[in-house]
Amino acid sequence: MTSGTLTPPRKERAAPDSPRPTRSRRKPFLAPYLFVAPFYIVFAAFGLYPLVFALQLSFTDWKGAGRANFIGLENYTYLLTSEEFWSSLGNSAVMWLLIVPLQIVGGLAAAVLLANARLRLRGMFRVAFIAPFVTPLVAMAQVWIVAFDTDYGLVNHLFNLVGLPDIDWLQSTVWAKPTLALLFLWKTTGFAIIILLAGLQAVPGDVYEAAALDGASRKRQFWSLTLPLVRRSIAFLVVVQTLAVFQMFAEPFVVTQGGPYGSTTTGGLYLYNHILASDLGTGAANSFLLVLLVFALSLLSVRLLRSRDE
Amino acid sequence: MSRSFVPRRSVLRGALGAGALAAAAGPLAACAPGSSGSEPRKLTGTPSASAKGEITIWNRSGDLFKVFDAAIDAFRKAYPDIKVNHQAVDIDAKLANTLISGTDLPDGSFWDDAKIGGQAEHLYDLTDLIAPYRDKTSAYKLSVNTVDGRIYGVPWDLDPGLLWYREDLLEDAGVDPAGLKTYDDLLAAARSLREKNPKARPLHMEKDPFLGQLWLEMLAGQQGTSLADADGQVRLDSKEYRNILNWVRDAVDDDLVTHAEYLKQADLAALENGQQALVPWAVWWSFAPQQLLKKGKGKWRAAPLPAWTPGGARSGAMGGSSFIIPAKAKNPELAWLLYEFLCFKEPGYSAVYGPSEVYPGGLTTSVPSYGPARRPDKPLFEPVAALGGQDLWKVAVDAADTIPSAAPIPAWWAKSVDYLGNNLQRLIEGKMAPDDVIDDSTKKIQRNLVDRA
Repeated sequence: MTSGTLTPPRKERAAPDSPRPTRSRRKPFLAPYLFVAPFYIVFAAFGLYPLVFALQLSFTDWKGAGRANFIGLENYTYLLTSEEFWSSLGNSAVMWLLIVPLQIVGGLAAAVLLANARLRLRGMFRVAFIAPFVTPLVAMAQVWIVAFDTDYGLVNHLFNLVGLPDIDWLQSTVWAKPTLALLFLWKTTGFAIIILLAGLQAVPGDVYEAAALDGASRKRQFWSLTLPLVRRSIAFLVVVQTLAVFQMFAEPFVVTQGGPYGSTTTGGLYLYNHILASDLGTGAANSFLLVLLVFALSLLSVRLLRSRDE
Repeated sequence: MSRSFVPRRSVLRGALGAGALAAAAGPLAACAPGSSGSEPRKLTGTPSASAKGEITIWNRSGDLFKVFDAAIDAFRKAYPDIKVNHQAVDIDAKLANTLISGTDLPDGSFWDDAKIGGQAEHLYDLTDLIAPYRDKTSAYKLSVNTVDGRIYGVPWDLDPGLLWYREDLLEDAGVDPAGLKTYDDLLAAARSLREKNPKARPLHMEKDPFLGQLWLEMLAGQQGTSLADADGQVRLDSKEYRNILNWVRDAVDDDLVTHAEYLKQADLAALENGQQALVPWAVWWSFAPQQLLKKGKGKWRAAPLPAWTPGGARSGAMGGSSFIIPAKAKNPELAWLLYEFLCFKEPGYSAVYGPSEVYPGGLTTSVPSYGPARRPDKPLFEPVAALGGQDLWKVAVDAADTIPSAAPIPAWWAKSVDYLGNNLQRLIEGKMAPDDVIDDSTKKIQRNLVDRA
């Protein structure tokens, strides 16, 4: 005989077909999905779907109208054996060299200065650095075109005043890239300064106090404390600006149209040129090759940072 | 520690589901890039004079828009029951996309001849409607609007090439403009001008790659050829192109060239100070003495281009536009009525080229492509004071009559500037030889444009 007390009262057990507990279990299960659904729907419609569509397009010869024929890897092999494609990547690489190291060094110097509470007119300097970042690029590009015009530009006028000859800033293969790089620097260095300033302000003050007590000079504090402690901010900037430089489009599009002789046709502009020529399949393949390249470069930067941390 | 309300496995399952959804969307998306080709739509019926309705017409903004606006007013008077919404639009930026997407289309639009061939599948085939006017229309304009034997644009303006020269400087140098009959004569004249003025670089050569290539095509068209044949195959490797490129090299080697961008500061300065005295260019260069030059105003004149061979054609076309009717236009017949009026009916073309509020002496930057509108004895615009009162109309229509027929302009033409236009610049800068320009441009155009068209 078994004791009746060991068996739980029947009324406390949920009946398998009882609607009440099921509903209470489903509610918390569904609610989070419903809350995040708008994001996923928008992401699927405007992020994932275009991505998949573009990937599919990269295997076709679609011209924007008519039949889209599957051509396998032809667009990719065309690009990878194309002089122009490699030249566009080469142009982007040169732009990267002209921009990123200078921006990190200059941005860090400006951020260190702006972080100094004793700096006079600190607010004005901050506004001056950030103003180009929030100014529409096309307006700035127009200023650039006028300022660097060979015949009546302000820059050559100033050069002439000190006895220097005119330079074909935007029409020579030697000078067009540095001139565009300067525009990019002017436009985006404010962003770099914000990131580095945030990194600097996150460094606890007592670290510097301890270093000062130990007799470390300002220079030593910079090399041994500031630089290592903002390394993550620098790495973040390198990744973000690498993405930006390899996708650079508006600057050459407005200022040089990729010329002279394609010397400022960046990866982003070369991609656009395919789209403009209604060669959408090649344009899509080009975009995926750029994605792979930028992904590899970003991975490399992150790996370098990680190995330093280790 | 808080516990996640949604199990990680569920999240992963959800993500996989989204991926599957996206993958499934792929094949569906295949439907989007047009699953089948379509036959060109023919526009055949001409509505009666009592036609009613409303049309939207696109034109470029600027002075020409105002000129067309006035001409459309004349159309409204002739067809009072047709309402015309005349809109100023950035056609280069908008029209191609609109034609492809098929949304918010106008009933008709102004467009560059060079762009019509590339979008023929989105346009009405106007062959039957143009047939009555065909014999009297410039063969050049018909040819550039023809794709596979069908006409897709209503031929509008004809832009003959002319030789612009400084009359006073040629006179000082003892050069008779009437004697400039061949391009060798032109080089000889340039040398004479430089003998008189050592600083002179009398010949203009264009620094902008696009305009430079357009100029090259004018000189090629004068010899009856063009960059592509009727099948779209490159034919740059030819005697005619070698003639031009060798001539350019000779002019450069003799230091006879001002290499500047069309009517930019450096170009204007060289035109004003007498450094440039010979400009082989389209009729629309007349804008310079009329609107931009100060010291040189009244001193420039126009003559036919020299010929490449004695007795050869004395002009070629440089640029030009036509009117198109999108295949999905709502009221294509009414749009045709408007364009027929503007291009082929006397009140229409007179309203455009004749004296107007914008151009009191008439529109002097092109001539009509329709022969009866181009009579030397019935000028549509007046002699030009900025050209010393010269009768530009006569010079331009005489030149227009000699322009040889051409092949349709391939859809890739504008992109070929990246190769041919740039290489022409390298030739003018002395960095490339004529044969290298031909070989390199042909190879790259073939690989990057023709093979992928």
